[in-house]
Amino acid sequence: MIRRPLAIVAAATVTVAILSGCVPNTTPGSNGTTIHVDSTAVDCVLSATSAPSGSIVFSVANKGDAATEFYVLAEDGKRVVGEVENIGPGISRDLVVDVQPGTYYTVCKPGMVGDGVGRAPFTVTDSRTG
Amino acid sequence: MIANLLIGLREGLEAALVVGILVAYLVKLRRRDVLGRLWLGVGLAVAVSLGLGALLTFGSYGLSFQAQELIGGSLSIIATALVTWMIFWMLRTARTLGTSLRSDVDSHLDGAGWGLVLVAFLAVGREGIETALFIWAAVQATGETTMPLLGASIGIALAIALGWLIYRGVVRINLGTFFAWTGFFLIIVAAGVLSYGVHDLQEAGVLPGLHSLAFDVSAAIPPDSWYGTLLKGTVNFSPATTWLEAAVWVSYTVPVLLLFLRALRKPNAPVAPRPAASDSALTTQGAS
Repeated sequence: MIRRPLAIVAAATVTVAILSGCVPNTTPGSNGTTIHVDSTAVDCVLSATSAPSGSIVFSVANKGDAATEFYVLAEDGKRVVGEVENIGPGISRDLVVDVQPGTYYTVCKPGMVGDGVGRAPFTVTDSRTG
Repeated sequence: MIANLLIGLREGLEAALVVGILVAYLVKLRRRDVLGRLWLGVGLAVAVSLGLGALLTFGSYGLSFQAQELIGGSLSIIATALVTWMIFWMLRTARTLGTSLRSDVDSHLDGAGWGLVLVAFLAVGREGIETALFIWAAVQATGETTMPLLGASIGIALAIALGWLIYRGVVRINLGTFFAWTGFFLIIVAAGVLSYGVHDLQEAGVLPGLHSLAFDVSAAIPPDSWYGTLLKGTVNFSPATTWLEAAVWVSYTVPVLLLFLRALRKPNAPVAPRPAASDSALTTQGAS
């Protein structure tokens, strides 16, 4: 009686894990753009504020003293397009996003609280036209 | 270093506590033979997480943000379901222990023993990939500074130490009290995991309402403070909680807690009859 539901749960677990793992991964390095981000207590500086559409790697280095997070937000400034958290001081972590052309916002959140610092627009151009 | 230490502690704490309780449970049932399987589940989760994390960090493929949130969110919700099942199963087994033959318990555990292994696997693996990515990032930084890796390692070691302390603490209290308190604690943990999963799915855009906050006490309980870390690491308390998270938390906790209390009160409840005697036993020796 106990075994059957368990087996179902186990199978469901594995299936869900595999299915979600199979979401197409992006390939940084090959055709993607890498942008370096420096997160400090007061600012969030990007090495470039625009990139061609497709796969973009944000390599976020924490130069501050508090743990930080980095967000890519949609044009409304609210919807999360991509987020990387748990970037401790002295650590650098990558956020890989696959983005369509348009306007986005980037922001760092040192201390993991509030609206964050260094919020700035980020433009994604159409890689097919130019 | 402290900031990295707190991240390691937060990511490892909940898993360490759940595994600590599982081990105490098996020891109390005198089923140390199942412990091997349990550690296998834990080891497997650690190995898979570290392996995947290394592949994603050093390999040529990254994990898209949406995929990571979807994995985290779905695993959280499955983990909640499993832990809930386990709480009630533990209670039922405890009752069998009091009323029928030992062999009944044994046959029960053979089927469900693997369930416990799955719980241990999920408790560790749920946030395992995120933790592994954090650790490997700290490893990558060692070219410049070893402080992040040192901090992260101490944090995780601290989490494991706290899990061991919980084990030492609860393994001493009598069986009836043990089930009441670990059950209660696990329900609160499971509720936190569920609302955390909902938050993940809100961030991934699968569920709405990411910016409709029910409350925001970040000023009083900063997420990067030690107490904010402990609250987040144990019961997944988020200082800025959305309405949907709060609603899901309440609609899980209230009915499950009521069912749990009703099950506890049944006349032939766990092993030792639990009137005032067991309660006073708890206050004298169970506080640790």
